[in-house]
Amino acid sequence: MINLTINGKQIEVEDGTTVLNAARQNDIKIPTLCDHPNLTPYGGCRLCVVEVKGMRVPIASCTLPASNGMVIETETDSLKKSRNVILSLLFSERNHFCPFCQVSGGDCELQNASYDEHMTHWPMQPQWTNFPVDTSHPFFILDNNRCILCRRCIRACAEMSGNFTLGVEERGSATIVVADTNVPLGQSTCVSCGSCVQVCPTGALIDRTSAYLGHDKQMTVTRSVCRGCSLGCGIQIHTRDNRIVKITGDYEAENVGTLCKTGRFLSLDEKRTRLTSPMKRVAGQLTATSWDDALTTLAQNLSPLKGNIAALASTRLSVESLSAFKSLFADGLGSDMVTSIEEGRPTALQAKYVDQNGSAIEGKLDTLRTADCVLLIGADLTTTHEVAGFYIKRNMPKGTRLIIVDPHANGMDDLANINLKPKVGTDEAVFNALEAAVIKEGLARTAEKTSNVSLPDALKVCGLSEEDVTDAARMLAEAVAPVIVYGKGITTSSEASVMDAMLRVAKLIGASDSERRGILSVKGEANSLAAAQLGLDEQLEVRHEAVYVAVGDDYVTKRLVEKLEKVPYLVVQASYESALTEHAHLVLPVNIWAEEAGHALNTEGRLQFAEAALTAPEGVRSNLDVLNEVAKQLGVTVNEDWRTALTKRTSVVELEM
Amino acid sequence: MKFFRSHVLVSVDPECIEQGAYQIVDALNDELVAQGLIDEIQVLETSRLGDPVRFGPDLVVYPENVHYANLTVDDVPFLVEEHFLKGRVVEKFRAKETVITDDELGAPKAKEVRIVLRNCGKIDPHNIEEYIAEDGYQALANALTTSTPEQVIDEVMHSGLRGRGGAGFPAARKWQLCRQVPDNPIYLTCNADEGDPGAFMNRRVLESDPHSVVEGMIIAAYAIGASMGYVYCRAEYPIAVANLNVAIEQAREFGFLGNNIFGTDFSFDLEVRMGAGAFVCGEETALIASIEGRRGEPRPRPPFPAVKGVWGKPTNNNNVETYAVVPQILLHGADWYSAMGTEKSKGTKTFAIAGDVVNTGLIEVPFGLSLREVIFDVGGGIKDGKKFKAIQTGGPMGGCLVEEHLDLPLDYEALTAAGSMMGSGGLIIMDDETCMVDIARFFMEFTQEESCGKCTPCRVGTRRILDILEKICEGKGTLADIDRLELLCEEVMKNSLCGLGQGAPNPVVSTLKHFREEYIAHVIEKRCPAKVCRALINYEIKSPACTGCMVCARNCPVAAITGERRQTHVIDAKTCIRCGICVQVCNFNAVAVLS
Repeated sequence: MINLTINGKQIEVEDGTTVLNAARQNDIKIPTLCDHPNLTPYGGCRLCVVEVKGMRVPIASCTLPASNGMVIETETDSLKKSRNVILSLLFSERNHFCPFCQVSGGDCELQNASYDEHMTHWPMQPQWTNFPVDTSHPFFILDNNRCILCRRCIRACAEMSGNFTLGVEERGSATIVVADTNVPLGQSTCVSCGSCVQVCPTGALIDRTSAYLGHDKQMTVTRSVCRGCSLGCGIQIHTRDNRIVKITGDYEAENVGTLCKTGRFLSLDEKRTRLTSPMKRVAGQLTATSWDDALTTLAQNLSPLKGNIAALASTRLSVESLSAFKSLFADGLGSDMVTSIEEGRPTALQAKYVDQNGSAIEGKLDTLRTADCVLLIGADLTTTHEVAGFYIKRNMPKGTRLIIVDPHANGMDDLANINLKPKVGTDEAVFNALEAAVIKEGLARTAEKTSNVSLPDALKVCGLSEEDVTDAARMLAEAVAPVIVYGKGITTSSEASVMDAMLRVAKLIGASDSERRGILSVKGEANSLAAAQLGLDEQLEVRHEAVYVAVGDDYVTKRLVEKLEKVPYLVVQASYESALTEHAHLVLPVNIWAEEAGHALNTEGRLQFAEAALTAPEGVRSNLDVLNEVAKQLGVTVNEDWRTALTKRTSVVELEM
Repeated sequence: MKFFRSHVLVSVDPECIEQGAYQIVDALNDELVAQGLIDEIQVLETSRLGDPVRFGPDLVVYPENVHYANLTVDDVPFLVEEHFLKGRVVEKFRAKETVITDDELGAPKAKEVRIVLRNCGKIDPHNIEEYIAEDGYQALANALTTSTPEQVIDEVMHSGLRGRGGAGFPAARKWQLCRQVPDNPIYLTCNADEGDPGAFMNRRVLESDPHSVVEGMIIAAYAIGASMGYVYCRAEYPIAVANLNVAIEQAREFGFLGNNIFGTDFSFDLEVRMGAGAFVCGEETALIASIEGRRGEPRPRPPFPAVKGVWGKPTNNNNVETYAVVPQILLHGADWYSAMGTEKSKGTKTFAIAGDVVNTGLIEVPFGLSLREVIFDVGGGIKDGKKFKAIQTGGPMGGCLVEEHLDLPLDYEALTAAGSMMGSGGLIIMDDETCMVDIARFFMEFTQEESCGKCTPCRVGTRRILDILEKICEGKGTLADIDRLELLCEEVMKNSLCGLGQGAPNPVVSTLKHFREEYIAHVIEKRCPAKVCRALINYEIKSPACTGCMVCARNCPVAAITGERRQTHVIDAKTCIRCGICVQVCNFNAVAVLS
């Protein structure tokens, strides 16, 4: 512990704490601009300078490690004068005319800092060279004329998404924030994660969707969970007048404020038509009707069929809804075809493995924070589950190595240390080859001396070279904390034995032992794991008289429509019009994700409660309500104990309920 | 084996033979036998010793290394009696060596003591053997085989050697701090970025005597336990870079770099890394960032490079000159070095004298010489008989000193106390036709251009300061501007992240202190007393001096001069661009500059 004095107050902090954080922990406010609690300190704006007894000049507190016996003053007249001058210099540097800016009036940290210093005007006349405004990006605009060169955006692009697109060009007063080698943002390597926009203290980065729609204090902020994929990142939904203005990352959740374009931007980019009234097919045409009539029609058509009803649910629905869905159709009606729209593609393989072997095999996303070598197989983390990719990318400059196994082009190919491109569908042989290579090189962490698999045979099947496989085996086995990340590329098309092969390799390289589970699968959508736990993971076979599809706000694929378009009686519970609803005989309008509170079980087995932030339009009901109502209509009692339902099956990853 | 106390090598070069070299050999042997010295002195035949036309027949006596020339057989008896029997060198037979002088350095001037510059121009930088012949790598051999690293540090500590890069921190103390950090590997860096405008001391040493730097670095590496070193050399010195690379390659061939140097378990290697045009990379943390492949921006300290430097490992950084002098200190001893200089500033320092003096260029003098001596003795006084006005020391981060400071010694503390600094050794001497406001503006323009842009005070502050200085030089300044100038200078000096920002306002502060009346004249009277600032001067043709020859009118690039033949010409002030060509071409001194 370190003991120091700030403004006469004796305080004690942990070793390694900066003076700024020491002050924050003790309710002493030191003004900052370039600092951000979730980014490495920069020490550039100089607003946080403090007087340290014995040091010749003021020192930036954000980068100064506290040491024993330090005596700090933060509110001397000299420091107040310096803050004033620094802010004046910033105002004079570029275009900081406030009236035209979307963050003016409370959301601009530069403006707020100057009000805190009781500034009433600019002492220095501004003089700047006009920089062109970059409007090439679909989601945000970069206006360098408002930039204070705090470099938060650059640090965020490096430390949150690990994309390293943003940087600076030129030096001194000609310094300018640029993308890549100064190309328009819209044509750069930017992946639209929006971390830069989230951390920008001024109005230099302008979010197109939310700009000018109100200040932060005019919005309602709801902490919730993103439904974009199975990672379940924590989000803050900002709403005003029952409309989502923007979505930001939750710094208190596992993703620590980082989001991807799907969660931050695409969820607001809705072009489909909303359903606001139940509809039934009359004389070949879908016509609006009342809920009473719709439900009566449903009872009339489905009651006689009893169990001859296939049922599909979207894995974007909440755990409560999925559990009710299963209880209604599988348990209550005894249907033999109750599954999810994903049909178990991202989860069935490993779920079945765990059924047989009895215990969890996967670990948490947190293992990626300390992984020094990652084997990424059967997953392209630049198209889905991007935040998992960010965990890997941002650690690579620190030395984390990446091995990619993908027969197709993978978005992270250019970053990988080793790229293995085996023949399609030969993942088991790849694992066998790695296993054999590890043992051959004598690098096994366990006592294995011989392997049951033959290296030459395995290589022949997968088509990789011995040299490449040996390099990969060596890199994995020599790593202190290796992690295997796998996805749909493995689970969709492989035999169950690929799991055995993977687990054997994991043990040999020390990825998986009694202390550590360095294996992760990214699975599919928000509640893919919940669906697997509820047994909603079979392949769809339609031979039924009726099919009930609880689509919710999910997208509908052509493949699904083709499977269902000839069904004699099709009931669709959905939020938006689609090709599926066009073929439906009965359509029931339901909430979208942000309108319905409920639980989500993410890929790490963590159960999270997602709050609702919006009120649904008149005429729309919640997914859960509708399912309960349908159950009532069909004389079925729904089992509401979804918690027990989730834990009945052994999960591939320890559940955190 | 027979031991002789002396060897005589007689040149039997064909030309010397023609002049009777063999006879000299025989005569020597006969005389040595006669004197009973034949068992103590051995006569040998050797190849050419010097130019036979000038010196032949000649010989050299070892171990005293005396070169006798133009001998005859008759000289031999006297030579043997005097030199070998009585032990006295015979001056009249001694070869008159011509002193090799380097074009750029010239012969050593009065009061110069060349230690760092001793080999410059005398040896071939591409030939390690010539360096070795000048006792090169001897110090390294002694240090590695007979001293411990602690003893090396001790010796350098006692010599009082202070870092020559500008800060003047005791070199050995820095080495010790680095050595004590319990981490590895340890790195060594040499700051060869030399960015001060007009400073070229390091360039000279790197180009002409790179091995002195290499040897110094290897010794320092041994002292601190480093295994790898980098010479960070600015890209604007391509010859220095090339010569360093040649030197390093040769040092490797000779086993002075690499594994197990001199058969000890000390291994060390060196690499040259080039800069890319940034003055700020002369700042040690920015230099380290550049070596790491990052943008050259300084980092906050603590942690200091001695603890966390290159790639987070302990690193010792010193200037070229600091390393270059280390082998000499070990060869001649700490006492020899500390006998030179002042109480706190020991040894010698190279300086680059520029400006309005007769002798500009590089010099090396012991600390303690007064500024007056440097300017008027070594520098030869102010050019063209003009008057001394000021001397800028320490480069763009230094301050100017005036008449009252001329008797100050060249000493770290003395210069800092007077409001300037030693810096890397640039001295710019200014005569009374220099405008001090313009000088301040010139230096601020430089530092503004070179600011890295990381911290607000330097990035924006120097820009605002420069704006005000430009405004004043254009005749648009106000008294409020001077107040603002003083405020900005104070704040930039206090709050900047690194030495560049902290020192950038120095020229402004010191010129304001010593030449405030010049600033006031610019602001209130719109007059430039030194008649330099273009916006504030006027050119006027005086009568009766003007003869109406029309030479000026013909040469004026903007046709601002009108006048008939034999009539006094007139310059139109609005068209005139103040280029000064008319003054140069007028044969009658009829053009006056007024302000």
